Amino acid sequence: MSTVQPEAATGATGDRVLAAVKRVVVRESRLSLDPATVPDDEPLDGRLLRVTSLGLLGMLIRLEDDLDATLPDDIFAGREIHTVADLADLVRAATQAGPS
Amino acid sequence: MNDPAIDQLLSAARAALRAAPPVGDEAYLRFARSVGALVRHRWSEIVRANEVDLAAGHGRGLPEPLLHRMRLTGAHRDRVAELAGTVQRELVAATRPGPVFQGLGGATARQVPRPLGVVLMIYEARPTVTVDGTLLPVCAGNAVLLRGGTEIAATNAALGAVFDTALAESGLPAGLVQVLTDVDRAGLRHLLRRDDAIDVLIPRGSPSLVDACRISSRIPMIVGGGGVNHQYVHRSADPDLAVRLVLDGKLPEPEGCTALEMVLLDDAVADAFLDRLARRVAEPDVARLALRVDTTLADRLPAGLRAGLDVRPLTDADDGREFLDTTLAVRTVSGLEQAVAHIDRYGSGHTEGIVTGDPRVADEFCRRVDAAALVVNGSVRLHDGPTLGLGTEIVIATGRLHVRGPVTLRSLTTRSWRVEGNGVTRFRAA
Repeated sequence: MSTVQPEAATGATGDRVLAAVKRVVVRESRLSLDPATVPDDEPLDGRLLRVTSLGLLGMLIRLEDDLDATLPDDIFAGREIHTVADLADLVRAATQAGPS
Repeated sequence: MNDPAIDQLLSAARAALRAAPPVGDEAYLRFARSVGALVRHRWSEIVRANEVDLAAGHGRGLPEPLLHRMRLTGAHRDRVAELAGTVQRELVAATRPGPVFQGLGGATARQVPRPLGVVLMIYEARPTVTVDGTLLPVCAGNAVLLRGGTEIAATNAALGAVFDTALAESGLPAGLVQVLTDVDRAGLRHLLRRDDAIDVLIPRGSPSLVDACRISSRIPMIVGGGGVNHQYVHRSADPDLAVRLVLDGKLPEPEGCTALEMVLLDDAVADAFLDRLARRVAEPDVARLALRVDTTLADRLPAGLRAGLDVRPLTDADDGREFLDTTLAVRTVSGLEQAVAHIDRYGSGHTEGIVTGDPRVADEFCRRVDAAALVVNGSVRLHDGPTLGLGTEIVIATGRLHVRGPVTLRSLTTRSWRVEGNGVTRFRAA
């Protein structure tokens, strides 16, 4: 498994889960910007980010690699996820990894 | 699926590859013919399976764009028949041995086609990929493992049954095609680690999927990356031609990987270009265009353009962006130097175009820009296997090794040198 991200990419919150989520949603949205500049409340499928369930398989593998964790297959089942923070909350709960 | 089960399917793929006839054998033509006929014959059965997946998807609340990509229609059935016919027509030429080279003494050498080996195709919920990803690799002599999105498991199982029958009808070994409907994410990770048993990995899907494969696997990859494609309009360009090429590059199927994302306008030609574009905003498809323009253009936009189109300021996030919709970014540049620098920084190495009336500028652009295809005075949409007469393709590769550009039947083989020594020695005369 790859190691957790460099400190510079963790953003002001110091939350490694949030930083990993931002990296993966920026990549998934095919953007060339610093993930740390994405607001926590940015919609996942809006003007800036274009994240849909089409890319879930790849995103889950990338998050597992980044966080050295195993995420459940049904992580999104029955969940309402609209923003970056929503996704980070879900992943944090699944990995039981709070802010570092 | 546990590790022993994965070992078993990998062994079956390798055994089938060993048992398969050589590349170019008529059995592969029979396979293509059989797949085309069986898909037509069993279409109602395949559609019923597809409806099971769609109903399950609705039940799980999958969004409509995803359901749309999962849904099979009569057009897909016709396309399979067409693809099967195309593969049959192209296969002989694609697998023909190369020219004979004369070597030392009477020795000769020529390249003969060989399969790449066991190919693992990983993709999302797109049943059409199941068909493409089987027909081309198998007809090129490979064994193929297909791991599609779990959302289309029933559809893939029905297509897998078609392939099993087609293999038997054509005299090819069972196991040459394996549709993996029960490999979960852990199983997929296991597969990605098996560079000892899988020869080539072809991921087809989102950037995260490609990244995941790139990072988690040592298996050589053929990857079709997304296209952040630019059209540079040089000051010597005919503005009418430039507008025509830009519209063709963007408006049909804007989510395609050859679609245009940004126009780089020489400042000297910007007003003429925008004026010609404004004259076309009444056309129904052009009216759907959404422009993102840089600050230098904001005050220069013709009134007709501003009134007829959705125009917004360009943001930093729009550089290097693959919009996947009718949004087109427009930026001015001072000349070739700045255009090349922008493409170098933000392009994805897929397709880059130039419109110019000066052949020397075209040559300089092609010399300095590095992409799978460089298009001079044409639509970036020309970068397509059948359109360029290169043959049918499964993906446009952006990697630097083995194949760059359309991945055709020929690209799905490798080549061995067959040397006819005719008794010639190299070092010792006797």
